[in-house]
Amino acid sequence: MYGDLGIKLVQHAKRTQNLAHLPPYQADLVRAVTREVRDLNKDVDDLLEPFQGSFDPAEDQAVAYTLLVNHISMRRNKRCLLAYHRTRTDKLEELVWNGADVIDLSGQQVRDGGASGSKGVASGDGSTSSLSPQEEDYVRQYGDLLAAYKGQWTDIDLTGSLEPPRDLFIDVRVLKDAGEIQTEYGAITLTKNSQFYVRQGDVERLIAQGYLQKLS
Amino acid sequence: MSYYDVDAILTDGEKVPCRFELDVPYLGHLDNSNGLKPGTRLNLPLWLAEMFALASAGEDSKPPLTLTLPPCLSEQVLAALKADPRAVPLRDQSAYFYGVAVRMLDLFDERELSAILRTTFVVRAADVGLHARKAEESGLGGQGEEFLRGLDEWERRLFRRGHEGVKWAKEWTDNVKKS
Repeated sequence: MYGDLGIKLVQHAKRTQNLAHLPPYQADLVRAVTREVRDLNKDVDDLLEPFQGSFDPAEDQAVAYTLLVNHISMRRNKRCLLAYHRTRTDKLEELVWNGADVIDLSGQQVRDGGASGSKGVASGDGSTSSLSPQEEDYVRQYGDLLAAYKGQWTDIDLTGSLEPPRDLFIDVRVLKDAGEIQTEYGAITLTKNSQFYVRQGDVERLIAQGYLQKLS
Repeated sequence: MSYYDVDAILTDGEKVPCRFELDVPYLGHLDNSNGLKPGTRLNLPLWLAEMFALASAGEDSKPPLTLTLPPCLSEQVLAALKADPRAVPLRDQSAYFYGVAVRMLDLFDERELSAILRTTFVVRAADVGLHARKAEESGLGGQGEEFLRGLDEWERRLFRRGHEGVKWAKEWTDNVKKS
């Protein structure tokens, strides 16, 4: 029945809304739904073909209603597709605001560079990226946009934590190598498994990104 | 209800029983036959059935299809709701019980139905609120669990909101006490 695949897609979207992370992109389902739309459109063209553009709905009701069903089905599929993608982009925007990196989101594949270029290959089967290539692009550009927006107010960190810090300085442990960072008190090199006593404001972003762990 | 609302889309996907009034040979795929005959009964999703019931090709022609109320709003269910709204697991009727009902009320002029549904919602909402408040402390008694399982999507959302509200209020008072 037309529209059943769309429902499946929307059910995925519904599940996504309640998750903290982003589940893999349903490339196969999306492709199946778009294929359904193309098939429907072809049916419409075939039905209208013999009329040569002079179709009168009142004369041939059977055809008219078939066209109506096809048209509504296409519209329905469009709505399902849009809602699915919108749910995901909403989630992605939220993640960008929370300071997530595209690289974190899409796993190791992207870091090699090659995978994101090959279109459609990166479907969601766990080992590859959970984002579609278009979504990766979206996240990257949205991140740029957000950075540009934040750049207007250099003295306020718009994506910073809203919780007032209890202590100015905190103990942190390094979970991943993060290279050298500059602080007011000089440069420190963050190597894995080392521990530091640093100013919270300096490392907040790194904690959010998962490079550092705060020790209480 | 926005265009992108996932719940609205799923509500529209619920099936309603309809009867075809016209002979449409091309639409056999709707009920797996070789063409729809007048009088064929079939279940169509709301998004399709609604447009169809409202459509008509000429000025005085009949709509191609007549809608009937879905089984989740049948006499028996309504009678049970009239007897005791709290005893009916709405979710077993439809996960989008109220959503579907509202859509049907747009199409049908059923004053009694709307009155029953309103009472049902109000009576049940009080219980939903009660359970949302108690869920934290008592770890859910047997009867409460049964009731909560029968909530439809609207009521679930209500429950979640109520529960979060209690939780946040508690967190806030704890914070105030601490500092």
